Amino acid sequence: MATPDFGGIADRVFCDFMAPLVLGGPMTTHKPIGSKVALAIGAERVAGDPELVSHVNLARVRRARRVVAIDRVVNATEVEWALACALHDIVQANHPGFDGALKRKSATKLLAMVDATLERTPPPVNLRDVVSRHTWFARLFEITRTDTDVAWWVGSSQFKGVDPPSRLTAWPELRRVNVTRTPRPLMELPGGGAAIDAGRLAASVTSFLALTPLTDLATCGRAAPAFAWGATTLALVATTYGRTLTTRVMEREPRAAVDAALGRATRGLIAARAWKAAHVAFELLADRAIADAHAAAKSPAKSSGSTDAAFARALGALVARARVAQDLVTTSPAERARLLAALEPVASSSAARDVEAAIAAASPPPAGAG
Amino acid sequence: MTHVRRARDPPCKFRAILLGPMLERIALHQTRLRTPGLGLEAKGVALGAKGLVLLPSIDRLVALLAVYTREHSLEDLMPSLSIHLVRSKLGTREITLEIAAESSDRMDRIAETARLVGGFTFTGTSRHFVQYRDAGAPFGYDATQLLATDAALALYHDKFSQTYDVEKELNLRALLLRLMPHVDPSTTAEAGVRYLVAEQGLGPALIHYFVRSRVDGEVCVGEWPPASAFEDAPIRRYVLRVPDLPVRMRLLMTRTPGITSFLPAGPGVAVEIGYRHPVALRACPVFDPNGLVLLRGRGDEPWSLDRLPQMGDIRAFARVELRGEDAQLVAASTATSQPDAVRVPLRVLPSAAAWRNVTATWIAPNEIPLLRRLAYALPHQTIAATRIAVTPRGAFLRSSIGIEAIPLGTFFVEIHAGLFVPAGYDVTPAVAPDVLYRALGASPTQAIFVGIDARAMSIDEASFVPLETALLEAQAWEPLVADAIEAALEEKPIDLKLEGLGVFPLGAAELPAPDAVPALPPAEK
Repeated sequence: MATPDFGGIADRVFCDFMAPLVLGGPMTTHKPIGSKVALAIGAERVAGDPELVSHVNLARVRRARRVVAIDRVVNATEVEWALACALHDIVQANHPGFDGALKRKSATKLLAMVDATLERTPPPVNLRDVVSRHTWFARLFEITRTDTDVAWWVGSSQFKGVDPPSRLTAWPELRRVNVTRTPRPLMELPGGGAAIDAGRLAASVTSFLALTPLTDLATCGRAAPAFAWGATTLALVATTYGRTLTTRVMEREPRAAVDAALGRATRGLIAARAWKAAHVAFELLADRAIADAHAAAKSPAKSSGSTDAAFARALGALVARARVAQDLVTTSPAERARLLAALEPVASSSAARDVEAAIAAASPPPAGAG
Repeated sequence: MTHVRRARDPPCKFRAILLGPMLERIALHQTRLRTPGLGLEAKGVALGAKGLVLLPSIDRLVALLAVYTREHSLEDLMPSLSIHLVRSKLGTREITLEIAAESSDRMDRIAETARLVGGFTFTGTSRHFVQYRDAGAPFGYDATQLLATDAALALYHDKFSQTYDVEKELNLRALLLRLMPHVDPSTTAEAGVRYLVAEQGLGPALIHYFVRSRVDGEVCVGEWPPASAFEDAPIRRYVLRVPDLPVRMRLLMTRTPGITSFLPAGPGVAVEIGYRHPVALRACPVFDPNGLVLLRGRGDEPWSLDRLPQMGDIRAFARVELRGEDAQLVAASTATSQPDAVRVPLRVLPSAAAWRNVTATWIAPNEIPLLRRLAYALPHQTIAATRIAVTPRGAFLRSSIGIEAIPLGTFFVEIHAGLFVPAGYDVTPAVAPDVLYRALGASPTQAIFVGIDARAMSIDEASFVPLETALLEAQAWEPLVADAIEAALEEKPIDLKLEGLGVFPLGAAELPAPDAVPALPPAEK
């Protein structure tokens, strides 16, 4: 087989996929890339258009500066090229063209290649790597395809991800043309004529997010795939600086959705009796509860949201109260009293009792109890 | 057996013959390159992050530096410049000089110089370097196939392709210090600053000679380690810096034993007179400007001072001679006296002389409302040229182009810089304006107005402000939100567009063989 044209593929992926993923605007997918090329394409790769690279890096710095004060980012690394190719193939697997005779299995094969790529891609090993990957893939769930339905007096037609020809929309009054545009975000693409189901897509996206944990945490309030604590997200949150970055990215997301996602995921850890992992999640929830308590002193917070959100807030308040009471939080006595007063209503709510019940149910019975 | 091994792994020399040329010329508008780290700059020339010059020996390296520094400075190259001794698989040792490529203009200069001294120029980013452009390939070269090697360098040239391992790094400063200056008697006649190094015993005599001959200069004492282990005291020498040594003394300073003359060859470095360094040291910023390196001829080791000691004026070191102790110390005066006073009071009297240089007016406080109304009628030129000082005695206005355009108040004539008398009046006694100015005890920071009653008013010059800034009352302004900036920072939505998949949708996409493609390495910690 001929050697793939790495330079050509890289140029297309960068200009038509990676750059729009950061900058926004029209994003075009091309032929599926596959695992073999994805793993080899980034070796000493320099993207072709220096002006576009500069523009993209500027936008990435803006993205990064939302969480950390840095002034420059490096060009895409070998791993980031592989991740970008994997994401390209994930998006391309939803192409309606696969939903035809002799092609349906190809979409599933393509996702299998994506999984193979992701298996061979290492997780981030430092915060610079975490932030760099986040700057590339933070807008992953903003990828949206616009499907257009065109109806006229004697017929109708549907165009998925392409603009309808102008002849079909000509003379709108005379031909009674009705054009309906439906935006479809990435996770809704399987419902728009793809050959894969939503569950298979969610599995691949989950594997992808595991390799960019800050993006996973920043978008934890998403509808699908549901957020769950994984090895990389826990490893990030376990460090002080990682927890700070996480808190900052979560500040920009809707509070109720983030609390609900964290509550649901942490409840899963407790039920599975994964206590070591659960304690890492507790630290994050406690930090959020203390931040809430500081804010509540200025403007009392309104408690709203689902049961999971209340669970997360109550769990955070319980842990935070214990930390403040044991003087593990550096503060003055007056401030400590104010914090305890602000934490008390949440820590003694009905949701807090649910938390205690859930922990008691999952904990092993004390020795000699029966 | 040997024959089989050669066929599988042909030596570099035969690789081009067996596998075809490893370089191809880059065509106009070609955008895809195979060599990793190689890109196209704005002019379309193939350029990596670095440039590399391969030189066969150290003397070629010196020739390259000598030629390059005649026209250009190494200052912009220094941050990225590194010189290595490399060794090929065949065991030959060669020299590489690496610099940041930055632009084809810089690389063109380097390549021209390298061509002149018999070196080859390459460009690349980390390991693989291809030949830099020449007349045969104006856009440069690209490698058609890459050498599979673990060597530190893989160089691709149209005549050879070779891998090299780095043996050691060469320090440019150490190299420059090791180079022996060439004999060049013409430097004896060169004018300008000279450094003279005199042995300890000669120093005071030389200083006295210069003081006596009225030669300006500075002197310090430098210390060097003892020449042998049997000596325990450091060697001290006098270092003199003479800005302009008279011509009659130049030969004397060059030929006197114990005195060595040097000409500055750049910041922090000087070369002995009668010799010239092969490299233009002024273009090599490797010497500390606060120190001093004195390069000597005849193969003698250089004298180096890490930090030049404090230098003093040589006149301070002249021999001191005292008068006899019995001589009178000071001839003091016995008494002083002041001349008798003949002063008369100043008067201001009407004069029939024509008005000239009427540049100021004094508006009494009761006339200031009139000035405010008049301001609306004044032309811009008058307002721009007028300065005003408002005092409790009224407003004083000055205009260098004439104050007649403001028909208010008492006009004044400027008879001296900063001294005004009423228009149509003269001062008596008829002393010169300069004398009157000094008699009033005025300072340049004050303007003095002598009134009709001969009383003087002093106003600080800083009190005069432009009339146009004093006239207008500031209006409240409403801040506007910069919508344009907000729009520029707005992120556009990502709109996914699809293209047809074709007959074979997966095309060349394939799974990696389990053992063929290893996992990617983790990021550097």
